Amino acid sequence: MADTSKPATRKAAIVGGNRIPFARSNSAYAQASNQDMLTATIDGLVARFGLQDKQLGEVVAGAVLKHARDFNLTRESVLGSKLSATTPAYDVQQACGTGLEAAILVANKIALGQIESGIAGGVDTTSDAPLAVSDDLRRVLISLNNAKTVQDRLKALAKIRPGMIAPEIPRNAEPRTGLAMGDHAAITAKEWEIGREEQDELAVRSHHNMAAAYDRGFFDDLVTPFLGLSRDNNLRPDSSLEKLSTLKPVFGKGDPAATMTAGNSTPLTDGASTVLLASDEWAAENGLPVLAHLVDAQTAAVDYVHGGEGLLMAPVYAMPVMLARNGLTLQDFDYYEIHEAFASTVLATMKAWEDPAFCKGKLGLDSPLGPIDRSKLNVNGSSLAAGHPFAATGGRIVAQLAKMLHEKGPGSRGLISICAAGGQGVVAILES
Amino acid sequence: MSDWYRDFANSGFGTTLVKQLGLPRPAVLRRFEPGQPLLPGPAIIGSAGEGRLREALTELLRAEGVHVQSPVTADGATDGEKPAAVILDATGLRTPGDLASAHDFLSPAVKRLRATGRVLILADPPSDADSPAQAAARQALDGLVRSMAKELRGGSTANLVHVPEGAEASIASPVRFFLSGRSAYVDGQVMSVSPAELPKADDDEQLLAGKVAVVTGAARGIGAAIAKVMARDGAHVVAVDIPAAGDKLAEVANEIGGTALQLDITAADAPQRLIEHLRERHGGVDVVVHNAGITRDKLLVNMDAARWNSVMAVNLQAQLDITQALLDTEGALKPNARVVCVSSQSGIAGNRGQTNYAASKAGVIGMVRAWAPQFAERGATINAVAPGFIVTEMTAKMPFGTREVGSRINSLQQGGLPVDVAETIAWLSQPGSGGVNGQTVRVCGQSMLGA
Amino acid sequence: MAVTVLDQAPNLGQLYAKAAVTARGRGGDLPDTRLARHGVQVDPAHLAAYARVCGMPLSDVLPATYPHMLTFPLQMALMSDRSFPLALPGLVHVRNRIEVLRAVRAHEPLDLEVWAENLAAHRSGAVVDLRATVSAGGEEVWRSTSSYLARGATAPDGAPQADVEVSVGGLERVVATWRVPDDAGRRYAKVSGDVNPIHLSGLTAKAFGFKRAIAHGMWVKARVLGALAGRLPDAVTVDVRFTKPLFLPSTVTLATEQHDGGWDVAVRNEKSGTEHVVGTVRPL
Repeated sequence: MADTSKPATRKAAIVGGNRIPFARSNSAYAQASNQDMLTATIDGLVARFGLQDKQLGEVVAGAVLKHARDFNLTRESVLGSKLSATTPAYDVQQACGTGLEAAILVANKIALGQIESGIAGGVDTTSDAPLAVSDDLRRVLISLNNAKTVQDRLKALAKIRPGMIAPEIPRNAEPRTGLAMGDHAAITAKEWEIGREEQDELAVRSHHNMAAAYDRGFFDDLVTPFLGLSRDNNLRPDSSLEKLSTLKPVFGKGDPAATMTAGNSTPLTDGASTVLLASDEWAAENGLPVLAHLVDAQTAAVDYVHGGEGLLMAPVYAMPVMLARNGLTLQDFDYYEIHEAFASTVLATMKAWEDPAFCKGKLGLDSPLGPIDRSKLNVNGSSLAAGHPFAATGGRIVAQLAKMLHEKGPGSRGLISICAAGGQGVVAILES
Repeated sequence: MSDWYRDFANSGFGTTLVKQLGLPRPAVLRRFEPGQPLLPGPAIIGSAGEGRLREALTELLRAEGVHVQSPVTADGATDGEKPAAVILDATGLRTPGDLASAHDFLSPAVKRLRATGRVLILADPPSDADSPAQAAARQALDGLVRSMAKELRGGSTANLVHVPEGAEASIASPVRFFLSGRSAYVDGQVMSVSPAELPKADDDEQLLAGKVAVVTGAARGIGAAIAKVMARDGAHVVAVDIPAAGDKLAEVANEIGGTALQLDITAADAPQRLIEHLRERHGGVDVVVHNAGITRDKLLVNMDAARWNSVMAVNLQAQLDITQALLDTEGALKPNARVVCVSSQSGIAGNRGQTNYAASKAGVIGMVRAWAPQFAERGATINAVAPGFIVTEMTAKMPFGTREVGSRINSLQQGGLPVDVAETIAWLSQPGSGGVNGQTVRVCGQSMLGA
Repeated sequence: MAVTVLDQAPNLGQLYAKAAVTARGRGGDLPDTRLARHGVQVDPAHLAAYARVCGMPLSDVLPATYPHMLTFPLQMALMSDRSFPLALPGLVHVRNRIEVLRAVRAHEPLDLEVWAENLAAHRSGAVVDLRATVSAGGEEVWRSTSSYLARGATAPDGAPQADVEVSVGGLERVVATWRVPDDAGRRYAKVSGDVNPIHLSGLTAKAFGFKRAIAHGMWVKARVLGALAGRLPDAVTVDVRFTKPLFLPSTVTLATEQHDGGWDVAVRNEKSGTEHVVGTVRPL
């Protein structure tokens, strides 16, 4: 396998990012749509990097929860933004992996020389969630719409029953298992014997790290206020183990030993994020910095339905593949960004990498990937503090990590690991 | 933010009513618009004694396409078009007796001055006078100009520029400014130019083309107006404001094709972060406008330390720290850099309830004066602008009475607009304004406060 | 053996009514009758409605349980006839085994044939097998055996012991949780035509001795196959035992386990663990 000749490519540069502060569901952004948030976020990026009326290679973004009206969401957002209207755009969706996957897509096109610049992003609202009419009512309404004569219309209308009126609210549940993501995570937490206290500790550290980062101005060039919010409103600088320990478990409830609470799980969140990627040449021509390069990425999926693997364990599988391809070990990084969907997910992920039996049996490795230096993990806070607007998390992490690596200096390396619904996981390497 | 009274007083019925009631009728000022000629009519140039600037002035105006009338034609004749500007070269003054010729020239010429006209006097600074008599004559012009400014109607202004020996080449930029619509709300002022090496041929429309300008406090009000005017004149504006104002800041940056930089200028690392940003993105900076400012009003006896300290930190210390860092960092300030600091009328006249604010703004005046020589050494300048009553969102929140009185007690009988401050700052930022250094220019319509 | 060929599917509502009024006085041997239909075309709209109700993907290939939609009315006609020895009301579907011999396409004209056989003794009554076979172009493509228990009935002397058990593994891993709504029975009845009152409402179910309405066993079976969609071979045997009634509404779990290239499955109540359906899915 040593002699795999790669085609001539270049590494895409991460120029910077912008996001709006994340807001807990039904709070500051209760009235904002996906398009509102994505447009504002793109405009903030445009302002930060002077992209007004510029035609970029493309804009790639997505939302996990989408309305029918979110048709062509990203392109519509571009048309409403300050970018040139001749910038193409398309939507992607890979659940919580959407944002990072979008960045990989843009980076790959840059790497291949197909484009010179692009924006990757993601947005989600759980406040303005797409509420559907029941399937039955929807069918009646469709036939009503198709009816040509008054009689046909009346006939269609006559089919409406009171029971049809109740709307269908999207549930945060896996379609195939009917389990909430948290309940899945709870199964994994139990399997890996992840304790309550270590989860709470991780959550507290996330809040404290992010609050400190805000205080020292770290987010000044990563976040633009929106609708009166200038910091993530889920952030609790005064979070403490004592406070978190009083919360009752909300997932895996049937189990008396349940450990996952609202404090060590991410809440439903609204928000949007964007990242500006480019070739080094484009960045230089436009007088823009290169914070880091997107070196490589890997996506994996697990059979969490019938295969016996945890829903959120796919990054565990993706990691060794990517590390091997790059000749790196898990310890060769200055920073680790492991998306905190749940504190237990982060802990189970690390535990799996440290477990010789798992690494041999499931990952086919002679020796485990080994431990991660915790002092390099999510050092400026992650989703437990910021909140997690599904598709927007990837962009938040990429921009945040790129800036950290830039500050650390040339040659520094960072690792991203994001788990996603549907048993998927996306990992990536950034290098400054 | 319209001036309802000015609009009313200039309406058909309003004009009649205002006249009959003997109320002032504030004029609609002549403000600059791109493409506009320097003056809407001819200019008359006269001199008191053997002036040394007249020829240069005439040449300058002709180059601008201004028809220059002879004083003879103007004197008593009615065939000529009414002048839009009356310019007196008073550099020849030796004694107070010579002032008679100033009167002889000005009296008939100013009588024929059209609305929104300009009176500009150029003279040597009294401090350089050979004799007390000459100093007296020169100083006398102060009183003359300030009084004329109060007598002029119809939005006309009168100003005095001191031109020391050797600084003759520096007059073009101030002359253009004072005659143009850019100086609409600058009235009754006295300022000095100094010798400087100046670049040639200015493009009057894009005086700041290719320049990188930082404007702090750019998210709203005067700062946003400054950013817009600088961009209009061709500069790439780096709009700076606190992170919490980032959304408005982004709007401003996007409107003008600039960039937004969210930064708390009072943070310990703010100068370093600003400089890093400027060097990384723009290879340095040409123009720095220290506009960010806050008020925390209280009578001194009731003022806590927090109010005092926060106002000082934003309004004065941040300007000092950032400017010092720019000077200390190799390559941060580009050649012929311009620093413009926003002071305030309060810093000159004082204001009840604003000991902290007035102190900070007075400090700014001292700061630019002290720094000017050091800036001059590197072909750069540092100046201050002191706005008077400027109609902004902030003043819109003032009680009606306070606001109306505040906006009327000046020679132009109206409040200024943010753009008036912005135009003045943009002028000071021009490459051609290298001869203006260490000055504090009031943009106050000749306010009676601190006059 | 007499084969009666019908032109159209019998109306199940009428059959239930007929069976109810003729329930008394049954007995004797199984009729030696076969009912058949030829050249049956699947109605795509019905197939779509079926797939939707059962949580199965809609495709050009019939779900393994779908041909039962076609053969069931014939079986009902057989059972509701006076000649059938067991009274239809009270018959309980206890086991269903389907063999898909090859993928059956939705556009293929199908020939159906059903009959009853194997009246067997059971500790709580008698069990009869309703058989069905489906052919396309003269080739048998699908067959099924539905075992019904008549409580309290007596099998003829010398009848064999009924075999209604399906053995499965431990099945400890829950892979899905389903909230089965109140109207699940009515929804499936609408599509399948199986308007047996025990599925329709609490009131009608009570009339037949059930505390609440119960879900159709064949619907549960179909849902299980829906959950395994994409992981089944074309030729497959699906054999399930309907153990305890699934009362509506309920929350149930699906457990799966891989065995012999196929699956063992169990559907249980989420809280009590009561087993509703266990089954095996094996490649043929």
